[in-house]
Parts: sequence; structure tokens; C-alpha cells
Amino acid sequence: MSLTGFVRFLRQSLQRLESDFIQAVGLDRSLGPALAVNGPSLLPQPNNSSEPSFLDSIFWMAVPKKRRTIEVNRCRRRNPNKMIKVKTNIEPCVQCGNLKLKHTLCGFCYEKIQKETSLIRRQIQNMEGRPLNTPAVETVVLFENETPGEADQGKRIVERSRKRPSWFNL
Amino acid sequence: MRLTLRALISHGRVARRMGLGPESRINMLRNILTGLVRHERIETTRVRADEVQFYAEKLIDYAKKGDTNEKSMKMADFWLTEKDLIPKLFKVLAPRFENQPSGYTRMARLPNRENLDRAAMAVIEYKGNPFPPLFPVKQDNELNLVNQLLKGYREEQAQLSATESKS
Repeated sequence: MSLTGFVRFLRQSLQRLESDFIQAVGLDRSLGPALAVNGPSLLPQPNNSSEPSFLDSIFWMAVPKKRRTIEVNRCRRRNPNKMIKVKTNIEPCVQCGNLKLKHTLCGFCYEKIQKETSLIRRQIQNMEGRPLNTPAVETVVLFENETPGEADQGKRIVERSRKRPSWFNL
Repeated sequence: MRLTLRALISHGRVARRMGLGPESRINMLRNILTGLVRHERIETTRVRADEVQFYAEKLIDYAKKGDTNEKSMKMADFWLTEKDLIPKLFKVLAPRFENQPSGYTRMARLPNRENLDRAAMAVIEYKGNPFPPLFPVKQDNELNLVNQLLKGYREEQAQLSATESKS
């Protein structure tokens, strides 16, 4: 709608420019001294007032020739390349049975590990006191009723006040 | 005949672009690497974890050369922005991986992040960290019915062979 208005505006401004130019040069006959003549004094007026029809328009726009039938539309919309692809890489996790992608960790099992890790880290933070206070020793995590073994000599011991979970044993 | 512009096509280019430019990429990787050395296990996007893995292993290689090596100390000083991690690197991480030639880090993929961006995440860790293992070792439970039956069978066989050897 605005495009046709814009086209009309362009056309009118071009015509205005043209008439201004003609007046400036002096080729315009309509403003000359009116001679006393009998007879038709009507001089041929330049054709400014008629509406610009689309056939005169300089712009030819691309337009659909025919209505797309529902059969053709269905063919395009239901074409396999537009459908959602089937994923064949989903499998159940061996430990918990939730679904996971192949080559990816199980979200449920990782949640458990993440919670435990954050609790261990909080304990470490309490032990260190202030930030940027890492000691230059290894760390080992011990649960309830566990004593440090011979491999744990010289390591910083992080105590966790719960039973050792079944999935944390190394 | 070459019809295409070499600069606009990136077929076969392996160097990744991250952040605002090469300097920004190095700064970003430096921060991630510092976090990794401090916490020994971190979660980031897959691409960042992949990039940092190379730098993490190279840092350990430099650390293995020793505390007194000037180049190693300069590298550690550049790459670790928190300076209390430099003693940890040389005294904890380097001795831990003394006997291993390579492969000090482990990267595992995670499900996509829960945010609107659904970014592909990964967890990267130094091996030998004190946290629970990402890949739990599968342990057969002895208290299963099948395992108990098999145990009973094995004991019976042992008894039979014992009585046969006696007689």
C-alpha cells in the first residue's frame, strides 16, 4: 500500500520537476501573454492530472500467477526436509535408567556428582578460610568412620559427614 | 580455475575464533585454565573445554620441567592469574603426572545447558582429582539372585571336586 503511494509520489515529483524545468527554460506556452483571439483559446494542457495507471508504471513487480492449491502446499509443507529429524542416538543410562544421548553423560547421574562436588568444595572453602589460599598439597575426601590410609599420608583431608555413597569409590 | 574468494571460505581451517579477537581468546582461555587448576574440575561450553584441554596439557608439560626452569616459571606466571596456584601447579599437579607421558585431562560431554541458549556443555578435569568419578566403575552386586545362584554353584563344584580328590 505504501509502495503504490511511494510510486505515485515519485511520479508526481518527477512531473513537477519536468514542469518546473520547462517553465524555467521558457518552453511553456500556458503562461504567455494572452492574445485577443476569437476562437478556441484553449491551448493543449500538459496531461498532469490523470491518475498514473499501473500499465505506465516503470516498476514491474514479481507476483504469483495462480493460487497455490492445497495439494501443492501440502507437498511443500510435509516434505521430509522440513520435518523434524528423528534422533537415533538416545539410549537409557546403565546406572539410573534415565534416557541420555550417546557419548554424553547422564544428566541425573551428573546432578548427583555435581551436588556432592559442591558440598566438598564448600568444605574446602571453610577449611581454607580466605580466598586465594590454596595449599600446595593433594586433597583426599573421607566420609564417616573412615580413617586415612597409608596412601593418604601428607594429604589435606576433607571430612564429609555422611556415609560414603555407592557411586564414589576410588 | 579459482572462482571464489579464499578469505570468505573457511574449508579446512582448524583454528577456532573465540571472543572478540585472538587476544580476547587467549585471555578467556587463561581465565578458564586458572579455574581448572584451582578447582580441578570445571563445566564450560564444549568448544571452550576443547580449546582449554590443549593448553592445560601443555602447562603440565612445562610444569614437569621443574620449578627452577625459567621458561616454565614464566609460562606459569602468564597463564595462572591467581598466583597462589603456581606452587600448587609445581608441587601437586606436576608430581601427580610424573609417570604419564600425556593425557592428563579428561573431557566429557554434558546435556545442553538449561538456559534459553541451550549451549552444548562439557566438563573437563585433571585426572586424579579428589572428587567423585564422572564415569563410575561398574560393580556387580553380590546380593543379586543370579550372582547368589552362581556362587552356590561354584561352591558345590568346589565341594564335589574336594570329595573326588579325597576318594
